[in-house]
Amino acid sequence: MFRFHSFRTRLTVFFVGLLLVVQGAAFVIVDLANSHYARQQINTELEVDARVFDRLLAGRRAELIQAARLLSGDFGFKTAYASGDQGTLLSALQNHRDRIKAGVMILLSLDEEVVASTLEPRAGAAAMDFSAIIEAADDSDEGEAALVMMLNGRPHLIVMVPLLAPLPVAWIGIGFELDGQFVRGLKELTLAHVSLLRRVDEAWRIEASTLREPDLLASALARVTRPGHSFVLEIAGQDSVTLMQPLDAEGVLQAVLQRPLAVALAPYQRLRLALLLLTAVAFTASLFGASAIARSVTRPVQQLVAATRRVQKGDYGGAVEADRVDEIGELATAFNHMTQGLAERDQVRDMLGKVVDPAVAEELLSKDLKLGGEEREVTILFTDIRGFTALSERQRPSDLLNLLNRYLTCMTDVIEAEGGVIDKYIGDAIMALFGAPLAHGDDAERAIRAALAMGHELARLNQELTALGLPEIATGIGINTGLVVAGNMGSAHRLNYSVIGDGVNLASRIEGLTRFYGVPLIVSESTAAAAPEFIYRELDRVRVKGKQEPVRIFEPLEAGSLGDGELDRYHEALAHYRNRDWPQADEILAGLVEEVPASRLYALYRQRCADFLVTPPPDDWDATEVHSEK
Amino acid sequence: MRGIVLVSLMAAILGLPANAAELRAKVSNEQGAVENAVIYATLLGSPPAPGIVEAIIDQVDKLYTPFVSALRVGTTVKFPNRDNIKHHLYSVSKAKSFERPLYTGQKAAPVLFDKPGEVTLGCNIHDWMIAHILVLNTPYAKVTGKNGQAVISDLPAGTYAVRVWHPGMKGKKKAAKSPRTVNLAAATVDIDFKIRLRPKSRWWRDKPWDADRNYADDERNSAGN
Repeated sequence: MFRFHSFRTRLTVFFVGLLLVVQGAAFVIVDLANSHYARQQINTELEVDARVFDRLLAGRRAELIQAARLLSGDFGFKTAYASGDQGTLLSALQNHRDRIKAGVMILLSLDEEVVASTLEPRAGAAAMDFSAIIEAADDSDEGEAALVMMLNGRPHLIVMVPLLAPLPVAWIGIGFELDGQFVRGLKELTLAHVSLLRRVDEAWRIEASTLREPDLLASALARVTRPGHSFVLEIAGQDSVTLMQPLDAEGVLQAVLQRPLAVALAPYQRLRLALLLLTAVAFTASLFGASAIARSVTRPVQQLVAATRRVQKGDYGGAVEADRVDEIGELATAFNHMTQGLAERDQVRDMLGKVVDPAVAEELLSKDLKLGGEEREVTILFTDIRGFTALSERQRPSDLLNLLNRYLTCMTDVIEAEGGVIDKYIGDAIMALFGAPLAHGDDAERAIRAALAMGHELARLNQELTALGLPEIATGIGINTGLVVAGNMGSAHRLNYSVIGDGVNLASRIEGLTRFYGVPLIVSESTAAAAPEFIYRELDRVRVKGKQEPVRIFEPLEAGSLGDGELDRYHEALAHYRNRDWPQADEILAGLVEEVPASRLYALYRQRCADFLVTPPPDDWDATEVHSEK
Repeated sequence: MRGIVLVSLMAAILGLPANAAELRAKVSNEQGAVENAVIYATLLGSPPAPGIVEAIIDQVDKLYTPFVSALRVGTTVKFPNRDNIKHHLYSVSKAKSFERPLYTGQKAAPVLFDKPGEVTLGCNIHDWMIAHILVLNTPYAKVTGKNGQAVISDLPAGTYAVRVWHPGMKGKKKAAKSPRTVNLAAATVDIDFKIRLRPKSRWWRDKPWDADRNYADDERNSAGN
């Protein structure tokens, strides 16, 4: 059933293939674009996150600076500082720290010595070194500075503001620890993962992180040889777009913002799924659709093919369905019309074959029917029933017609078996053509063979008739070969294919002579010359009515039909006869008559010899017998 | 020549030794002349006899004036408030820590500066109001003017350690430890000091642009229109 070369398969494969190619291309393009946009989107988000981070830090910084400035301007604190009482100062620092909810407060002398500090020194933490931030404050116009730096072993945002009394007399430092709470707060704001990292001897140390397993980030970063500003980092099989934001001038402390790529890709994954689903649906639909369309074409085509095969076999019965309005429907309608036409033509051909000879019918159908003909050599055979008039008197007309039809059917079969063409039936007579409308090349031979066969067939028919108690039939056959005009004759509306000419008349005349010479079959000399392989008995030289030229006539013989030497002796007698040596001829003839007393021919010639012996013919006698009657 | 004659004349009038000398100092930095620098000369060997001196630091238009004063130890300073609002004078400096809370006019008691050192005056309610006082163990001190020059006259002949000081000067300690030694006779000696200053914001505050504005007056004025 599945053949690749079938139209249905090809159409289906084409459409489904086309769909798959288009969908595939669309899928790839959309996928690439999506990945690209997801990356872009996530990058943009991270940049925003980084700005939020910066703003948050800047806000914190501003808050701390404001808080420090307030303390710096606090007259009580100034006098406390002036008093130099460390306990009072520390207490004041703690008070202010709690007031502004800062983490750490430190008071430094202008010599960077710690005067008072709320920080509890952590074991193992490096000694506090404020030189960098104080230098930065000294270098700035406002005399203030803010830095992210390590303090007491933890990353801190530190601001350093001078204590003004009214000129700087000391440094007020306020610190805010960048701890887990800070990064978690940031994550709530940005939704990005935030980690704070510190570089220690080329390795990264996690100081704070919102990641579940921050150590994995450190190890993943260790694999990145030169981290850029933004890059994709794979952590535990998950890709994260990662943004590194340095927090200090040296880049020792870095804020790492991360967004998982999968989250940004999630909406696109749904799109991809929808696209796949769409492809699947479209695939199925196009598969069925193309198949259905193809079937809607191929099924009627297959029906048409089947119908065509039936028509080829001559079965015009079943019309194909033609209820569609498209091209296929038009084709079916046209096919039905064609079948109808063919059926009608075949019917005509059938009827024509019965009315006229099939060969003639073929000839008529193959060409345009028009009047006119062509001159060609045709062998014409005439036969009729001797004594038909008498026969018809003894029979009832219907019986007679039965008899005649039976006879004509037998003869027609024999003639057609030899390729002869029935020109027409004329009552009990048959006129048949050999060589028209189709020439076989051996038409004379075929005519003689048909005539001889007709004789045998007639004998067989007579046996049957006798058995039925019916009278026997005797016939005569005349054959002539000559140039005639063959063609359609009649009127423009009603015409016959036939032949006319002298040759036709001669054949008819010759047929008429069979009774006279007492033989069943006579051929003219032209026929005998055209079929030399037969044995002939020359019957006579005759001049028939309506024809000046004398014609020699012959009787074709079947082997063994004459006695030994009979034909030679007869021909010898005929030669003597024509040499006016009648006695000699008569002597031979007498012997022949004695042997074949029933031969009308021999008797006829003895009579002639006897007559010429009494009354010799004139000197210009050409041994031609004149038959003036029909 | 005229200057010397003048000095000699003044010395004669004041009954000082006729061989009094004069020190003309000029202070500059990379930008040029430095105003408000203090030049002071300390006579080596013989500490000067203490004297009772009075000085005044005014409060005018919400500013202390002068901005820099060089005072001898033992000077009593009056701080009259000439503004129509109150001021709250204070100092937390080691050399002299004191407070004269919110007063007007002459109500503040004078302050005796009895120790040498730097004293920075502030106003508790006006952050920009700053005055610098350098309390010295020598009476020979002057503050430079706009041209960066200061002239110390009537210096008895002798060997002096001459120093420069400015409230915003860098390397103050170093400058204090390494004075110029100058031998002065009855003559005028010129001395130049090159100093470096810290950013002005470290020792100077600008007055807010509307510090002298009385909004109540504005309102009345606009109502009058």
